[in-house]
Amino acid sequence: MTLIVERAGLTTVQDYGRPGWAHLGVPHSGAVDRGSFLLANRLAGNERSAAMLETSGGLSLRAAAVVTVVITGADTDASINDQPLAHCKATLVRPGDTIRINRLLDGMRCYVAFTGGVRGLAQLNSLSHDSLSEIVPMPLTVGGEITLGATDRLATGLDVPIVPRRSPRLSLHPGPHLSLLTSEQRQGLVTQQWITAQDSNRIGIRLTSDALRRNKFPELLSLPLVRGAVQLTPGGELVVMLADHPTTGGYPVVGVLASDDVDDLAQRPTGTPVVLGW
Amino acid sequence: MPADLLATNNSSPRVIAYGPEATMIDGLHAGEAAVVRTAILHTCTEQHVSINDVVAGARSVVVTHPRDNAEVVRALLGSIDISGNGGISPVAAPSVTLAVDYSGPDLDYVAQQCGLTSQEVVTLHSGARYVVEFCGFSPGFAYLTGLPAVLHLPRRATPRPRVPRGAVAIAAQYSAVYPRESPGGWHLLGVTDHELWNMARDEPATLTPGTIVSFEQIT
Repeated sequence: MTLIVERAGLTTVQDYGRPGWAHLGVPHSGAVDRGSFLLANRLAGNERSAAMLETSGGLSLRAAAVVTVVITGADTDASINDQPLAHCKATLVRPGDTIRINRLLDGMRCYVAFTGGVRGLAQLNSLSHDSLSEIVPMPLTVGGEITLGATDRLATGLDVPIVPRRSPRLSLHPGPHLSLLTSEQRQGLVTQQWITAQDSNRIGIRLTSDALRRNKFPELLSLPLVRGAVQLTPGGELVVMLADHPTTGGYPVVGVLASDDVDDLAQRPTGTPVVLGW
Repeated sequence: MPADLLATNNSSPRVIAYGPEATMIDGLHAGEAAVVRTAILHTCTEQHVSINDVVAGARSVVVTHPRDNAEVVRALLGSIDISGNGGISPVAAPSVTLAVDYSGPDLDYVAQQCGLTSQEVVTLHSGARYVVEFCGFSPGFAYLTGLPAVLHLPRRATPRPRVPRGAVAIAAQYSAVYPRESPGGWHLLGVTDHELWNMARDEPATLTPGTIVSFEQIT
């Protein structure tokens, strides 16, 4: 049950992450868009946290056995031997077939799950590639093999694919330092339009606007960060913490996004407008 | 909530929501976070409360938990006795001594800024007893409290792109050891051979919250 990597592109191995080590400075890591990740495992007939591939495109795999593949998350021009590969549908792949996730059409991350799950030697109980700590249990290299677990579970599909939700407004829960903002600044946070910025990655997504450009706060002592925490930088940008976020930080946390809204935001390409609300 | 609650010691602990899936105790005094963290772990295990992670900060502890569990966790955190070991019997804290070659590139600068000789800086730094307050920045990087006040300096204006693994450093009220090569803005006093982070070990970090640390000059 193996696949050969022909092109890795912008791809990492991810499971549900590395909980239980944050007190030692180890990020949670794991899939960035948890909803799409869990859906892929459900359709593939896997355990909820089974490892799969998270890709932003440029991926090409050759099957060396009969395998079942399911893709979820960002819309892509995926194919098997140049035949289109449907989203949210279990598809049988035969030995010698090539699976390609070429380019993302909308969204930032596509999830590629296989029935049986990706297997390998875990580090700190997880196969997730942590880009901040450089914990990489399973680097993908051209010519390398991906091993899948054996299973007799059945995979399934959906009639209508579920694509990442794009809510007109993301709801902000109050953060521990919200009270440091003036009422005007608080107003700006939720009335101004924010734009997703270019230098976003698995660690965090940056949002820019002029709303909080002028801010001056006392230096804070480091406090633990959580996924979805919204930090306000001295330059007036917001940074929303994603999977590989550092475990502690010193910028004010003005709000926290709920899990579904983190998934939504993490699928928005650079330059997409974002509206926040209470 | 006045701003000074967040940055000073003149406060009392409070339990607040940190989004729908986390709860925070803040307003702790220096050195309390590691003890409170242990107390929370004990209490949650004892009362079978499902949580994901308990993480210490400088004056705060954050518990992440399933969304459905928020009320239970918040009530439990409110009931923890923070004074006097949080109601748990004191466990002997692990302690470690790290041998240091005090030949760091910033030793003379630190001495000059503090109005001391280099040897006086070494004597002060290696004569103090430290406690891990919390970890962060990178796996196994521990913030050690106990640095003598005369050595408190703001971090470097320009961080170094590369600080070697094992570098023993100071900044503000903390000392630390870089567990691996990384960028860093702290003042480098020396280097230790001790392997602070190894994922093949059962306990990958040498310096865990609450650990007592001393430094010994290699002569």
